[in-house]
Order: sequence, then structure tokens, then C-alpha cells
Amino acid sequence: MDILTQVEPSGQVAPREFAALEDAVLEIADLQTHFFTDDGVVRAVDGVSYAVRKGETLGVVGESGCGKSVTALSILRLVANPPGRIVGGAIRFEGRDLLEMSESEMEEIRGNEISMIFQEPMTSLNPLFTVGRQIAEAISLHQGLGKREAMELAIEMLNRVHIPEPASRAQAYPHQLSGGMRQRVMIAMAMSCNPKILIADEPTTALDVTIQAQILDLMREIQEQLGQAIILITHDMGVVAENADRVVVMYAGRKVEEAPVDELFDNPGHPYTMGLLSAIPNLEEAAHDEGGQARLNEIKGMVPSLANLPPGCVFAPRCGFATDQCTSAYPPLTEERPGHWVACWHAGRLLEAGS
Amino acid sequence: MSAPATGNGADGEAPLLAVHDLKKHFPIHHGVISRVVGQVYAVDGVSFEIKPGETLGLVGESGCGKSTVGRTVLKLLEPTDGRIEVRGTDITGLNARAMMPYRQQMQMIFQDPYASLNPRMSAAQIVEEPLIIHDVGAAAERTERVAQLFERVGLGARHMHSYPHEFSGGQRQRIGIARALALNPDLIVGDEPVSALDVSIQAQIINLLKDLQEEFELSYLFIAHDLAVVEHISHRVAVMYLGRIVEITDKTKLFETPLHPYTEALLSAVPIPKARSRGRKRTILAGDVPSPINPPPGCHFHQRCPYAHDRCRVEAPTLREILPGHQAACHLHDDGPALPLATPAGD
Ligand SMILES: Nc1ncnc2c1ncn2[C@@H]1O[C@H](COP(=O)(O)OP(=O)(O)OP(=O)(O)O)[C@@H](O)[C@H]1O
Ligand SMILES: Nc1ncnc2c1ncn2[C@@H]1O[C@H](COP(=O)(O)OP(=O)(O)OP(=O)(O)O)[C@@H](O)[C@H]1O
Ligand code: SF4
Ligand code: SF4
Ligand SMILES: [Mg+2]
Ligand SMILES: [Mg+2]
Repeated sequence: MDILTQVEPSGQVAPREFAALEDAVLEIADLQTHFFTDDGVVRAVDGVSYAVRKGETLGVVGESGCGKSVTALSILRLVANPPGRIVGGAIRFEGRDLLEMSESEMEEIRGNEISMIFQEPMTSLNPLFTVGRQIAEAISLHQGLGKREAMELAIEMLNRVHIPEPASRAQAYPHQLSGGMRQRVMIAMAMSCNPKILIADEPTTALDVTIQAQILDLMREIQEQLGQAIILITHDMGVVAENADRVVVMYAGRKVEEAPVDELFDNPGHPYTMGLLSAIPNLEEAAHDEGGQARLNEIKGMVPSLANLPPGCVFAPRCGFATDQCTSAYPPLTEERPGHWVACWHAGRLLEAGS
Repeated sequence: MSAPATGNGADGEAPLLAVHDLKKHFPIHHGVISRVVGQVYAVDGVSFEIKPGETLGLVGESGCGKSTVGRTVLKLLEPTDGRIEVRGTDITGLNARAMMPYRQQMQMIFQDPYASLNPRMSAAQIVEEPLIIHDVGAAAERTERVAQLFERVGLGARHMHSYPHEFSGGQRQRIGIARALALNPDLIVGDEPVSALDVSIQAQIINLLKDLQEEFELSYLFIAHDLAVVEHISHRVAVMYLGRIVEITDKTKLFETPLHPYTEALLSAVPIPKARSRGRKRTILAGDVPSPINPPPGCHFHQRCPYAHDRCRVEAPTLREILPGHQAACHLHDDGPALPLATPAGD
């Protein structure tokens, strides 16, 4: 276990800890990505560490704006600079630090080794070209195949993501496809070069549940065949429960908890995770609440501004368990149970009380 | 065997809102002379009732016509056909002037708290605006009413003079709710009022809506695509598919004994946020939602339905009472209730 202790610009001392995960294909260590804006420094990612293994799905959850996407974009070094900059940390992939690579080496990594699926497929597909051509171009760029072979492979990929009549659909423009089909095209494109890691940033948020179920099943099916590591970013705890092996919970630019999926749902250790889980309406319970009396648990208050974080634990202003200790120093991440990490001064006590 | 399509209130309480066979078609224009070349059958024969103090949830896939139902019921869109009654009075043909008193009674909350508030007005002005339009009270009374509303929806008085961009999503939605409450309405149509919010904020707003309902005996037409949210807030739920209601009943029956194959698939597709859900077995529907421009003949769902049979491809099923207080539109139940659904149909 590395323990780095570093003096932050705010003058706070924050111990940062992370354990090396065995056989990780990708490991993010103490990543810091900040945005330098007129309103000050937005600490979008403020010391985040996580790792993912081959064939594993790592779920990343957290409130809107907590830094899930910026972390993912940092992995591919796609954060807009200015205003954004990766100011610290390391991203290890197959023994090398992506942050040390040249831009042309990064080009090789993107698409070939690590692919990303974005939330809104319309913004990442070019409206002027047919989807078949776009997939084929990605294939010939990364695999050096000729035009015809690339197109054949593109059609094969469309078939693989269960698009009916793939040869004629390859001739369609993005706007001629439904949202679900566009997302399948994105998956076909991302998978076409058989990447080792797939980053899926809210791949189904814009879709209906019946289509979402199709897409998530498809991703799982391809993962079982090809064994990629998947980083699945979402704010839907149901999607996480059904698809992730392990889960990272982020809050205000930091990782506050990490655990195997069943452990997280059975024994959440961080008050934010507890609040999140109890704020979700449960379909079955809701259906049987005949008088309609049940109230959801609220997490009172709002997420603090990332440009102006409170001292100590960032969750303290909303936390029912906060003590003086919480507002004076940021809690370190500690391994409370095997593979279960929590950044909370009172995690040990809370976990004991919970189980 | 067939029951009137609106007779879903088993007890005799008079409905606040009754909608009969409502249709809204949008013409598709083409070319220089704007020839009408087709219709979008956005809402194609929808009937339901809402009682005082009741919440009817409306769910269905994107584009199935939920928002169009909400907007047509409030006559923000002119219905193509059908009838809308408020406490027994037909308001379908009323002109803008005659609609005024009904407009007061029926308000709307929108999905996007960012787009639905005028960026150039302060929060207090936004909430006061309906009072001015409907000429309610003198200036001093209105100011007091606005202050009360701010307090009631949990916004501090210090926020009254801030502008929309200074608020978070949840706070903006509270402003929208305060505005909707300003005229003491009986019915609020919420068009995905919590869909854009984070879970922890969503819970705050749902609790607020429930409290307000109890306090003011409000009725809600609550439109959403998250079935767990809808089941949580609603008393009864209507499921829409491609312009039509395919099932409507109280929330427990809908969950326990779905009578329509689409409802069954929808329930099965909802991801469950619990331990040991990984790789859960479920009914996965093939295919995409068909277009409302060229809806398929017969049952609109037949191309995706695992139980489709010959009759489904030619004859549209009508929404009718299959079990007491439980309506569905599906040929599986033509010879009496067929449960569980997988029971082979009688043809
Ligand atoms: N170009 C930018 N300039 C300034 N701040 C930015 C920029 N891009 C992102 N941020 C900030 O970084 C923070 C993290 O953003 P990020 O997109 O990673 O959130 P997220 O967790 O993916 O949220 P969501 O669930 O809404 O997608 C946010 O507070 C956001 O405002
Ligand atoms: N003004 C309009 N002109 C033409 N077509 C329209 C218009 N408004 C809506 N439609 C179409 O009517 C259908 C129903 O739309 P509506 O917005 O009611 O669906 P919805 O169920 O609310 O969907 P969502 O869940 O995406 O909000 C859609 O096919 C839509 O494209
Ligand atoms: S450290 Fe304190 S304030 Fe932070 S989550 Fe734990 S108990 Fe709450
Ligand atoms: S009528 Fe036929 S196609 Fe339609 S839902 Fe019933 S069984 Fe399926
Ligand atoms: Mg994001
Ligand atoms: Mg809508």
C-alpha cells in the first residue's frame, strides 16, 4: 500500500491511500484534474484512485458533477486544456504511465487499446457519413485494413450488436436510426478493434428501460466473448447492481467508497452511500405501499461547489453523523473489510452498527 | 364483457378530470405549398379519470405520447378529437376566455427546470406571474402570497430576488412547484418533474409533492419513465404504448398481475438496486418502438410481443376491464383473463 501525504493548495493535509489491485489492467493512482476558471480552481477530480481487472466490470457512481466523466476523459487524456489540466497522479496501463506518453503514443492507445462510449451517441457520430463508413474508417485507421475488408468487418460488427439487416443498415446515416440503434452502433465502433478496456459513460441514460436492458445485455455478452475490462459510469444504482462486479462511489471529486457490488448494497460504509441507497424508490416496496404513506429518505442540502470546498470531510455539511473531527480533517480511505474501502472517520462504527 | 373505457373508479366518487377517447394528431407538412403528407398519431384514443386527491401515474417509452397527453389535457394543445371534462363540465370546445377559470385550476410542472423558467425574471417574479395574469389580489397581498409559497416549498426568503441561473436543479424545480401552486390549483400535471434530478434531490422533491398533495388535496397526473418513481408516488398507473393506454389499474395490481405483455416486459426491464441482482434473468424485448407516423396495423405492440398471434396483426385490441378495476388492451384475454400471461391464447 502506498501512502502519500501531500499538502494541498488549501493548506489541508490529506493522506491519500490506495492499495494496488492484483492483476489490474488499468490503474488510476491519485489522479487530480482541475479546471482553471474565472471563478477559481474547480477541483473536478481531487485525488481519485481506482483500478480494473481483465474481464471485470467496475461501476462508477455518484451525484451529477462529482467527476465521473472527467476521470474517464483523463484516462484517455481528452480533457479540454485550457481550462482543464491533469495536475497530479498516474494512470498505469500495462506497466506504463499514460500521463507520460507522447500524443502520438496516446493516439495508438485510444480506440485500439482503450475505447470509450459516450452518453449521447449523436454528438460522437458524424451526421454526414453513413454509420458503416464510420465504423469502417475506425477499423482501417487502427488495424490498417483495406477499404473493402474494413467495410466487411464493420457489417460483421453491426451484426454482432444485433442490428437487423446489417448490410443495408450500414448505409444509413445516424439520424435515420433510433436512439437504441445509434447506441448499438457506438458499441460496434468501440468494440471493433477489440480493445482491452471499454469505458462506457452513461451508455444507456438516454434510452428507455426496455432498450437499456437490450444494450446492457449486449455489452455483457460481448464482454463474455472477448474478456474486456469495462468501466461503467452511471448514476443508476440499479444498473450498477445488475452489471458491476465492484463499485466506486464518488462525491465532490473524490472516491468516498469502494467495495464488491453485493458488499456495497448489503453494508454501505459511507454515509453518502447509505443516503443514496435509501433515497432510491424501490419498485416492489412502492407497489405494496397501498396507503402511499412511505417517504423516501432525503439527503438534505446540496453538493458543495467544487471551486469552494468545505474544510475536512466534503460530505460533512449534509452528514447526519458529522462530528468536530469531520470538519477539521479529511478522512483517509481505509480498508474496513477485505476489498471494502471507505473514506469516513466513523466508518468502522457505522459498519458495525449496520451489520 | 366490455366495460366503458373510463369506468376505472370502482367507488362512485366523481372524478375531477375525465378524459374520453382523446386524440392528438400532428400533421406532417411537405414541400413549398406545405401539403399535408401524413399525420403523427401522437395520442390516438386515450381515456382515463382522476379523482380529487388522487395521483395517476403515466409511464411508457420515449415518444409514446405522454407529454402530448399532459399538454392536451391542459389545452396547451388543441385536441384533434375526444372530450375533456373537469368536474363534469366539458371544456374541450371552450375558447381562451372561457378557459381562464379552468386554467387556474390546472397547472403544470415541467421536466427541465433549466428551460422552463424565464432567465430574465427573479424567482419571486416567476412565482408571482400567474397571480398577475389572473388578476389575483393587490400587490401587497401577492407579495405575501409569494413569500408563503417560498416557505412552503422549502426555499428561503433570501432566495426571492435571485435569478434562475443562481439556483441548483432541485431549487429550480422548487420554484416551478411554487409557481404551479400560486393559484391554488386542483390538478397539477407533472411532466417528468424529477427526471433531471439526482437521486438525493429527487427524493426531496417527491416528498415535497406528496406533502403538498396531502395538505391541499391536490390531484396529480404524474408523467415519468422511471417505474419505481411512478409506483412510489401514484395511486393508480396508466401504461402507454405508441399513442394508446394499454393497461390501467391501481399500482399494486399493476405490479402483482400485469395483464399486458408490454407492462410485463417493462417491469422485468427495470434494474433492481439491490445486492445479488447481477445477471438477473428477465424478459428482454426485441426490436425498437415503431414510429407513430406509420403505426403497425392491429395491436401496436405485435412486432415486439412474445405472445403475438394471428389476430394481433389485424385487429387492434380495445382497452376494457379484464379483472375488477383492472383494464388492459390485449387479445390474450379475449376468452377471459389469461394468467399468468404465458398461458397460450385461445386461437
Ligand atoms: N470545461 C470545464 N470547465 C470548468 N469546469 C468543468 C469543465 N468540465 C467539467 N467541469 C466541472 O468538473 C466537475 C466534474 O464534472 P463531470 O462531468 O466529471 O461530472 P460527472 O460526475 O460526470 O457528472 P454527470 O453525472 O452530470 O455526468 C463538474 O463540477 C463540472 O462543472
Ligand atoms: N408539435 C409536434 N409536431 C409533430 N410531432 C410531434 C409534436 N409534438 C410531439 N410530436 C410527436 O408525437 C409523439 C409523442 O411525443 P411526446 O412528446 O408526447 O412523447 P413522450 O411520451 O412525452 O416522450 P418522452 O418520454 O421522450 O418525453 C412523438 O413521436 C413526437 O415526435
Ligand atoms: S467523515 Fe464525518 S462528515 Fe464525513 S461522512 Fe464520515 S461521519 Fe460524515
Ligand atoms: S394483443 Fe397480441 S400482440 Fe398485442 S399485446 Fe396482446 S398478445 Fe401481444
Ligand atoms: Mg458525466
Ligand atoms: Mg415527454
